[in-house]
Amino acid sequence: MEDLKEQIIRQLNLQEVKPEDIGNDQPLFKEGLGLDSIDALELIVLLQQYHNVRIANPEDGPNIFYSIRTMAEYITAQQNKTA
Amino acid sequence: MKAYIQGTGCVSPQDSSVFPATIREYEGSRMLVADPDYRQWIDVKQIRRMGRVIKMGVAASHISLQDAGVAMPDAIIMGTAYGCLADTGVFLNKLVTQKEDMLTPTAFIQSTHNTVGGQIALLLGCHAYNNTFVHGAFSVEHALLDSLMFLGEDPSRKVLTGAVDEITDYSHTILSRFGLYKHTKNTGLLQSRTTGTIAGEGSAFFVLGAEKDAQSKAELTAVEMLYKPASAEEVRTHLEAFLKRHGDVDLLITGRNGDVKDDAVYGTIEDALFPQHPVAAFKHLCGEYPTASAFAIWLGTLALQNREMPAAAMFKGASPANLKKILIWNHQHTTHHSFILLTAC
Repeated sequence: MEDLKEQIIRQLNLQEVKPEDIGNDQPLFKEGLGLDSIDALELIVLLQQYHNVRIANPEDGPNIFYSIRTMAEYITAQQNKTA
Repeated sequence: MKAYIQGTGCVSPQDSSVFPATIREYEGSRMLVADPDYRQWIDVKQIRRMGRVIKMGVAASHISLQDAGVAMPDAIIMGTAYGCLADTGVFLNKLVTQKEDMLTPTAFIQSTHNTVGGQIALLLGCHAYNNTFVHGAFSVEHALLDSLMFLGEDPSRKVLTGAVDEITDYSHTILSRFGLYKHTKNTGLLQSRTTGTIAGEGSAFFVLGAEKDAQSKAELTAVEMLYKPASAEEVRTHLEAFLKRHGDVDLLITGRNGDVKDDAVYGTIEDALFPQHPVAAFKHLCGEYPTASAFAIWLGTLALQNREMPAAAMFKGASPANLKKILIWNHQHTTHHSFILLTAC
């Protein structure tokens, strides 16, 4: 999850945010880290670029991108499926 | 048609917190903006998506609005020659390296020329007329003309107008291949008498109103352009007619840039039409770029407010006491000549 936080900070250019500032269960959007719809597109690309994971059903997006933990669990689950 | 400059803001290679008492010195072939702390004007969450050129434009526009005491302009009209070059480069690079796949939106949406005007409007929540002129070295002048016409339709309006341009590593490398720049010190640039100049960048914004009020800092009396004059004689004829219409001036600000090929015409016409006039310059302070005349307007307005041109900007003679009328004559590559007349309020 620490690697994922660093990837997100780099991809979204989150100036002045450090990995330790992002809680594993903290919401990424709105009241949490304050990400928006453009960031959501950046996160989709991040999953493809860094983890070779695609989101099959766009309706799952809000659940997958809810927090660092939900993202990490989705990545692990998808990678286990293809392993 | 004329207007009153009611607020000014500038982000340039000079540190505006100490300029003109202290001039920043550069050695090299480009002068980069002395970045202020942009977080003064832009929220940290929003700043992360902004390229340098956007931050420069947003900062300069906010400073000018604050200076004018205007919360919401009736129009945002600006000029840029290169637009958001850095983000255009980022996007095009990704297009190539990622083989047109997995392209993210951020660089793309920031790479258009009107992104700066759009960002200023978004941050202000301004839904008014918003236009960006991309007319090379005439971009500032066309933004000013549009602003004057906009004020002509309704004199109660306030227009936020200005310009921005940036240097990137790519653009500087490409433009250097044309032999446009040389390695030198900006403090000796105007006396260098060789070919080439120093590249520059920056943003200057102004709040314009049609009616003079307590905020008015200078009158924008006239804006004219002359494209590709056939000879120095044609420039002289144009300037003579300009002076006949508007009267003599106290001070001339030229766009001298230290390149002998560009500066020759200034010397020739100064000798003919302004032999006794003091002359100031500005490109040793901000560098050469297509919208540099916006910096000259900012400098001229500052001088008119103080009734004196800073000594660091004087090229020939001393600033006249009680300065009242300034002609800014700038050209780029001898093809784009602009004449901007400023009068004290």
